[in-house]
Amino acid sequence: MMTASLVDFTHWLGGTWLAATVAGHFWIVPALQVVHILSVAVVLSGVLLINLRVVGIVERSQPIAAVLDRFLLPTGIAILVLAITGALLIAGEPTRAVFRTIFWVKMALILAAGLLTWSHRSALSATDFGVPRVRVTRKAIALVALLLWLGVIVAGRWIAYVEAWPGAPA
Amino acid sequence: MNLEDFADWLSQTPLSIALTDSETAFPAIESLHVIAITLVVGSIAIVDLRLLGLAARRRDASELIASILPITWSAFALGVVTGILLFAANPIGYSANAYFLGKLILLALAGANMIAFHLFAHRHLAKEGALAPKLSGGASLTLWVAIVTFGRLIGFTL
Repeated sequence: MMTASLVDFTHWLGGTWLAATVAGHFWIVPALQVVHILSVAVVLSGVLLINLRVVGIVERSQPIAAVLDRFLLPTGIAILVLAITGALLIAGEPTRAVFRTIFWVKMALILAAGLLTWSHRSALSATDFGVPRVRVTRKAIALVALLLWLGVIVAGRWIAYVEAWPGAPA
Repeated sequence: MNLEDFADWLSQTPLSIALTDSETAFPAIESLHVIAITLVVGSIAIVDLRLLGLAARRRDASELIASILPITWSAFALGVVTGILLFAANPIGYSANAYFLGKLILLALAGANMIAFHLFAHRHLAKEGALAPKLSGGASLTLWVAIVTFGRLIGFTL
């Protein structure tokens, strides 16, 4: 996976004005990380409420459609902020994340969890007298999605603890 | 026994030694701590934004609070348990860290704000534009953002 182009990319990124700025001011990385964590709070709370509402154990007074409507947008915006802060953090230390498998695992988990959570919108079409009928498989998808989201956080934390690929630039 | 003595004693217990010896224990507990605190902050933000009148305005505040706060409290319990374990992994280092101590003070203030809310502000929830719920909500959001900030800064200053 450690292709010449990935190495070239990190080398190029490390030489940019952006990388120099992020790495050159002591407060920028902590500030980016705090914004990153606060955005995680928005996403995790949103996807917890959405997925556990689909399962039927939280916010039962609210229609599933209402919970989706309320939280999908803030969650999406927070994911955007996470992508931006994440990219800036990588710019500050280009060889840290991309040469560790767990980082790519994290990216894959985000994609999978996001798609599964987004897919609940289609679950509302089958109804019994206007109330969405939630099949067991849909609830299982919701639980899997939530576990994958939790996995994203674990994978993210683990970046700091694993070794980089052999031969990766420092 | 002051904090320093307690930290010295704790650092020599089997629990503390096991946490420092294990390669996976600390990252695992840390991950659970992140999950806990992000759920606390995220769920509290939902309530605080409602108290400030910035979100879910058509929804009854008391009903929203009753629905969300159990999640907040469960997450907070996990945060406290994982927090104590994290502390136990390096009691001497943390008890000498200004941001850790500051975070404890901020947590106490957040707790006091929550008590004040339940004692005073919540009876004004039904009144449109009441000031007490807004002050509670604003203070809560500010405190929790500060708690996350101080928490992150611990790692940079150990």
